[in-house]
Amino acid sequence: MTGGGIDRRAIFFVIAAAVCFALVPVAQEEFRPLAITVGVVYVVLAVLSALDAWSRSRP
Amino acid sequence: MTLGVIIVIVVALAFDFTNGFHDAANSIATVVSTRVLSPRYAVAWAAFFNFVAFLVFKTHVASTIAKDVVTQDVLTIGVVFAGLVGAIGWNLVTFYLGLPTSSSHALVGGIAGAAVARAGSHVLQSDGLRKIGVFIVLSPLIGLALGLILTLVIQWAFHKYRKVEKLNRGFRRAQLMSAAAFSLGHGGNDAQKTMGVILAVLIASGHVSKTSGVPLWVVLVAHSAIGLGTLSGGWRIVKTMGSRITRLQPVGGVAAETGAAVTLFFASAHGIPVSTTHTITGAIVGVGASSRLSAVRWGVAGQVVWAWVLTIPGAFAIAAVTSLLVQAAAR
Repeated sequence: MTGGGIDRRAIFFVIAAAVCFALVPVAQEEFRPLAITVGVVYVVLAVLSALDAWSRSRP
Repeated sequence: MTLGVIIVIVVALAFDFTNGFHDAANSIATVVSTRVLSPRYAVAWAAFFNFVAFLVFKTHVASTIAKDVVTQDVLTIGVVFAGLVGAIGWNLVTFYLGLPTSSSHALVGGIAGAAVARAGSHVLQSDGLRKIGVFIVLSPLIGLALGLILTLVIQWAFHKYRKVEKLNRGFRRAQLMSAAAFSLGHGGNDAQKTMGVILAVLIASGHVSKTSGVPLWVVLVAHSAIGLGTLSGGWRIVKTMGSRITRLQPVGGVAAETGAAVTLFFASAHGIPVSTTHTITGAIVGVGASSRLSAVRWGVAGQVVWAWVLTIPGAFAIAAVTSLLVQAAAR
């Protein structure tokens, strides 16, 4: 959280993750693991980013 | 070889050349913006690695362009010509406007538009287009994630290092390597698109069989054309990529180029024609986002996204009109 709001960077990463997961059913079989992996990476980045923002905002 | 085939090959090489000065500018934008190399040396460096890429990569991407975008029986000399006109026309419009759009997607849109105008939408190859379509979205996201993660790893590894000047000097040298890797990836992926077009026209005219690989002379002329295009530069777009999206330090330049190079190596190995522009833009945004999102100038990035969205329809439309004109002239 930053200034009481939600961390914008975390939101950006969540959207990127959602886009990757949305590509999974569309992608060919061999590229699905890649789309899932990139999506998971963005989820991790979103969590880390949110934690970073939260730790910075603590008094 | 007939005059028509020769004309299409020359136009394909002209496209490769425009790809050089349009897209290859991206591979040196970060080197120039961090002042590691002067523009003159940077283009020579990139052009050299564009050319030698043929020693590293196989020709899977060329096969995808020649065989997986539209059905091969519709690829006549006229269709390939119209597709190229669509792609070059779109490249020139966006070059004039200073927008870093994708020559690759212009080519795919151009070939698709010309083929559909000639024979209808059933000629489109859904599997090949699906693969290309997925990586239109996925390649910048992979580049972004890698650019960001590499930046964080480098920052973590050197966070106790106090001699900032010395560190920057070290990364300026490292950036020469990362720029070379990116130029290699660019040459490997982008020159192959032209090889694919030339292969398609050679198959259509019966000079090589449908199962044939890319002849060596095609590989060499395609890499020469993109290298020469790079040498001629494309400074409007260098400016957009290097400084208008986010300001880069040598550390960021290394992370962006390495992340983008890894993405391009993967795509080339799997025969996926991706945009070097999309990939490096994603990686640069990733580097900017490693500090804070406000470091990225989203207005410019958004302008770039709109140019991406419009590329395939734009090239498709120009190629379709050209294809109809070619058909009318042939009657």
